[in-house]
Amino acid sequence: MRTYVARRVLQGLLVLWLVSLAIFSLVRILPGDAVIMQLDQAAAPSPETLARARQELGLERPFLAQYRTWITGALHGDLGRSLITRRSVTSELGKRISLTSHLAVMSIVVALLIALPIGVLSAVKQDTASDYLARFFAVLGLSLPDFWLATVVITFLAIWVQWIPPVGFAPLWEDPARCLGQLLIPALIIGARLAAVSMRMTRSSLLEVLRQDYIRTARAKGARERAVIVRHAMKNAFIPVVTVIGQQFSVLLGGTVIVEFIFLQPGVGSLMLDAVLLRDYTLIQGAVLFFAAVIVVTNLLVDLSYAWLDPRIRYR
Amino acid sequence: MNTVLSLLTRSLALIVLAWYPFAATAQEKTATSGDAQGYAYAAPAFIKELDTRYPAQPPVPPSPPRYGGVLHFPATVRAFDPMAGYRPELALVWDTLTEWEATWYFPEVQRTPTIRKTLATSWEMVNPSTWIFKLRQGVRFHNRPPVNGREMTAEDVKYSYELLKDKAQYSTRAALVKTIQVVDKYTVRFELSMPDPRFYLNVVDSLSPVIVPREAVEAPGGLAENPIGTGAFMLKEFSPGEGALLVRNPSYYLKDHEGRQLPYVDAVRLFFTKDPATDTALFRTRQLDLMRVSTLDVLYALMKTVPDLALYRVPSFGWGDYGVSMALDKKPYSDVRVRQALSMAINRDVVAEVINRGDAALYGPFPWALAGYTKRADYTYASLGPNYEHNVKKGKELLAAAGYPNGFDMELEWAEFQGWTFNEFAQLVARFFGDVGVRVKLKQLETSTWIAKAAGVQPFTHTLAAFSPIGAGPSFMDWVYLRYHSSFPRTINREGISDPKLDDLLTTWRLDPGEKRPAIQRAIWDHLRQNVYRITTIVPPHYRIAQSYVHAGANPYCWFPGYCSYEAKTAWMTEKAPSRKFEKFAQ
Repeated sequence: MRTYVARRVLQGLLVLWLVSLAIFSLVRILPGDAVIMQLDQAAAPSPETLARARQELGLERPFLAQYRTWITGALHGDLGRSLITRRSVTSELGKRISLTSHLAVMSIVVALLIALPIGVLSAVKQDTASDYLARFFAVLGLSLPDFWLATVVITFLAIWVQWIPPVGFAPLWEDPARCLGQLLIPALIIGARLAAVSMRMTRSSLLEVLRQDYIRTARAKGARERAVIVRHAMKNAFIPVVTVIGQQFSVLLGGTVIVEFIFLQPGVGSLMLDAVLLRDYTLIQGAVLFFAAVIVVTNLLVDLSYAWLDPRIRYR
Repeated sequence: MNTVLSLLTRSLALIVLAWYPFAATAQEKTATSGDAQGYAYAAPAFIKELDTRYPAQPPVPPSPPRYGGVLHFPATVRAFDPMAGYRPELALVWDTLTEWEATWYFPEVQRTPTIRKTLATSWEMVNPSTWIFKLRQGVRFHNRPPVNGREMTAEDVKYSYELLKDKAQYSTRAALVKTIQVVDKYTVRFELSMPDPRFYLNVVDSLSPVIVPREAVEAPGGLAENPIGTGAFMLKEFSPGEGALLVRNPSYYLKDHEGRQLPYVDAVRLFFTKDPATDTALFRTRQLDLMRVSTLDVLYALMKTVPDLALYRVPSFGWGDYGVSMALDKKPYSDVRVRQALSMAINRDVVAEVINRGDAALYGPFPWALAGYTKRADYTYASLGPNYEHNVKKGKELLAAAGYPNGFDMELEWAEFQGWTFNEFAQLVARFFGDVGVRVKLKQLETSTWIAKAAGVQPFTHTLAAFSPIGAGPSFMDWVYLRYHSSFPRTINREGISDPKLDDLLTTWRLDPGEKRPAIQRAIWDHLRQNVYRITTIVPPHYRIAQSYVHAGANPYCWFPGYCSYEAKTAWMTEKAPSRKFEKFAQ
């Protein structure tokens, strides 16, 4: 087990290094740069002025020199300064990570609260009215895009109840009421969509497990149906569900951009989109490296959880 | 089962929500502008109603103003740092030597722009290349370390100009400043690299260098972490992507026309919104006090749901027009007959209809007011001439005369740009060009690439759907001289226009002390509308809406606080305004 974890950590570090090289190269291939993107339309600078501005930002140094400076800083925990705000990338990321983590965790909780009971119910009552209803809503959840749902919800909340989630993020531990008021609606919107995927996975996985020999054996031994499902079937059925949730969590860290825009809750996703649009190279590099690290760690944790869920799985 | 029922209830609610807008659209044929229920409406009747109920000039607010309150409005500020980039909102924190007394969006005042003396109290032209500015005494920087409220002097003006004049965002105005000398504590002398008898117009508003203290620039983190200026507000909190909180500067030096201390409000909270749905929802829930509205449709919907809002419908000076730039160095665009034919192919009335349901003005080679047209009634095809009138037959004849009887192939590059409808515009243009036989291939660009092309940093292949290059103030220099003179590179003169006769006219204008300038400007207008170096079509008006408890029209010519800092300084709110805290942004 230790050897396995050590090997995965080393693989993860290699992945992070390759990601750093790839993103550092790719952002520089994009047309335009931070100097152009910051210009007001009324500004009319000469090419010499623009070249000087690029020089000040260090964009005209050789590629390898720029990379060496950045990666050395990153290894020491310094991701540089944003080319746009001139603030430290680490501090820019800090607040956004906090907001995104809150939103991701709340969305996952919402998704699980919806998906697991309905998925189990749907599997246990296969081909009944409850099953059809649950599957209908799962398809509906998958079909409704987040951006549409978010736009509709914010518009009609404003018109009908004259209330929308407050703007200005406050962490849960500082102001729980504000935090919940701010993030609950976006989390419900995101969670509803995630729930559809998890619910379908729970249902199909549980159906498969319920057809296994050991389930038949448990029933033959006279175990109660609830015990068969909860104690014997569910734990094994959750392996693919955990995989899906792990993937969803990783996606959520950067994939809630539109909901973030609409509810003015700027997380890492919208930070990164802004950074790409404005060609803020240092910020893109920092954010991508952060995402890569999170995905590497999440995948490792998901893989390790398999052994706990199914003792037959062993790592070498 | 309860969970299932709850899901069912929620889903039914969503289906109702989903159905509602379509139900509203279904009323289109019967709804009128007076219909309080539907969102669909008859645009011509609504525009007529606006013309009657909301004349261009906003009402003068009651007096005296009420002090206190926190003003909320949307903005786009990526860095509260004048070293990093330009935004008009920076004028809340940092002052320029002077600012506009009246906004340039009103043609009536454009001919004689008035300047408010902020940091500079007087100026004198020694000769067109040498100018002396006298500074206001007793102006103090914000009382924060490391500057600690020390007095602003001529040394600060010299330092700021030397620091900022060559920065990309300020170089339009300040690049011709060769040297700046401190004459005494409150006097500076500018030596220019070329004569400019109107140089005093180059130190107005925040596209000119703002005055910053050396200590803040040189402190760790620079101005980004030490945002200290002499402005009416002090930056308390800046949360990129989210918003900012600014509190009043208690020792601000400027007073209103009756001698009352400015600003009136305790604080300003900016929201960096990115989606129109967010803006409208925030306005409807009274979390925004003022906002810009980009289209007539959204304006209508808001006026129906917030019936007591105050609207300022301001004709645009020229910002936000819909036009097409051509690669003039390539055939067939180098041929004036082809350019005229393409311009004639466009039905500008249809463009106005599609872009903003007909609520838009015709637009020529540059702002109407700069050509001496000071009344909206003058904004007509008759004033623009035949090259701007829809005439497919004549267009085909011109193309045939130019050697293209069967038209030619063209690539039109365009991009989505927040708040604007370039998609529809590009499709319309392609359709109209097709009428004269020009086969258009539309090429959508990623927005950043489009910006780089519009800024002249990257070339476009044949044509580019974009705004015309603009100026920041009512300055012929910004809008016309720089944009059309062949001595400037593509980053300034986007199309690379090179016309000796035009250059002569522009140089004559540049050297004229002032008396003949209006006539020369009209002559340049006539020359440009004949040569159609850039195809311009229409420009929608600006819509600014405010809650009923807000008075932000003390200066009747300024249309938005973020764009005209005096508006934020003189905005005030009645006792009906929501009570708001301002210890931190998230409150």
